[in-house]
Amino acid sequence: MHADGDDLLVRRAAGGVIHEQTLSLEEEFEVLQAAADAGVRVPRPVAYLGELGGREAFAMELVRGETIGRRIARNPPPGLETQLADELAKIHAIPAERLPFLRGGDVLARFEGELDSVGDPHPAIEYGLWWLRGHRPEPLPDVVSHGDFRIGNVVVSERGLEYLLDWEFAHLSDPREDLAWPIVRAWRFGADERRLGGVGDLEPYLARYAELTGRDVPADDLFWWEVLGNVKWAVGCLTQCRRHLTGVDRSVEYAVLGRMAAEMEYELLDLLDD
Amino acid sequence: MTDRPHAEELLEAVWEFLSGEILPTLDDQRLKFRTLVAMNALGIARRELEAEEGGLGEEELRALAARIRAGDVPDDAHAMLKEHVAAKLRVSNPQYLEPYG
Repeated sequence: MHADGDDLLVRRAAGGVIHEQTLSLEEEFEVLQAAADAGVRVPRPVAYLGELGGREAFAMELVRGETIGRRIARNPPPGLETQLADELAKIHAIPAERLPFLRGGDVLARFEGELDSVGDPHPAIEYGLWWLRGHRPEPLPDVVSHGDFRIGNVVVSERGLEYLLDWEFAHLSDPREDLAWPIVRAWRFGADERRLGGVGDLEPYLARYAELTGRDVPADDLFWWEVLGNVKWAVGCLTQCRRHLTGVDRSVEYAVLGRMAAEMEYELLDLLDD
Repeated sequence: MTDRPHAEELLEAVWEFLSGEILPTLDDQRLKFRTLVAMNALGIARRELEAEEGGLGEEELRALAARIRAGDVPDDAHAMLKEHVAAKLRVSNPQYLEPYG
C-alpha cells in the first residue's frame, strides 16, 4: 500500500491473545501515537481502520531492517545497549494520563490467573511464583511500560536501533519489569555471554537509563524481575499453545511453544539454585 | 502389531521429506521458518516415543502444584522439579541443557 510516498503496513488483529491484558488494536494504535509523540523510535502510525473483514486493523509505516533475534545477537551493532536505554527512558516518561485504558495491578496475580487458565499442572512455574511471592522487592511507582521490550521486537540496522515494534502488551508497571525483560535467557538468543539480550553488557544499559530517568537500578535488583520474566514467558508459551489446542488460531508454531515452556522452567529453577 | 514403518519411522520419513525435498524449494522466510518448526515438532514426537517411561505422573504433578500454590513446599521440591523439567527437556530440546553442565 502506498501513501505519501511511504510503504504502509496494515496490522490486523489475530485470533486469540497471548496474555489476558493484551490491548485492542485501537488501543495499540493510541499507544503507538503516544510513543511517537514522546520521540520513541516507532514506525509512523497512520490511521486506525476499524474492522476490516471482521478484524480490527490499523495502518503504520512499513519499516525495513533486521528483527530476527538470532541474527542480531550474532552481530550486534555497537551502541545498542545505550540505545535500548534511550528508548526505554522515553517510554517510561510517557504520561499515564494520555493512555487511561492501560491497566496495572499485581503482576503475580496476573500470571497465577493465566497459569490457572492453562489447566495442566506446572509445579516448576508454581515454584517460581512461590519464590517471587516470598521475595517481593519494594515497589517503584508505576510507569507506562512497553510490555515486550526485548531483542526480537526491535528493528536494527548497521547504524543500531531503528524502531521499536509490538506494543500490544503495553501496560502500567514497575519500570524494572521492562528493564529486566531483555536479560531473560530466552531473549539472549544463544549469545549468553552478553547478558543484555545477547547484544551487550548490562552496566552501560543501566547507567544510561539511570542518567536519563534518575532511577538508579543496581544490576542485582533485576534478579527478582529476571525470575519473573522466566515465569512470564513460560506462561506465555503455554497460553499461546492453547490458541492452537483450542482451535482459536491453529498453527504449528503455537503448538510447539507448549513444549518450549520447559526451557523457562529450567532456567528459573537454575536461577533459584542455592 | 502394525506393519512397518513404525511410528518413529513414519516421523523420520516425513522429517526427511521436509528437509530434503521441501525446505530447499522455499524462498519465503516465514514458510522456511515454519517448516523448520514443523521439523522440530517431528523431532520432539520422535524423542518422546523413544523416551523411557517414568517420572512424575499427572496426578502427582497436580498435587505438587497445588501444595506449592498453597505455600506448602516440600523440602526436596527444587531438586525434584529440576529432574522433572530436565526429563521434559531431554524430549523437547536436549541441546538446551548443555550450557548448564
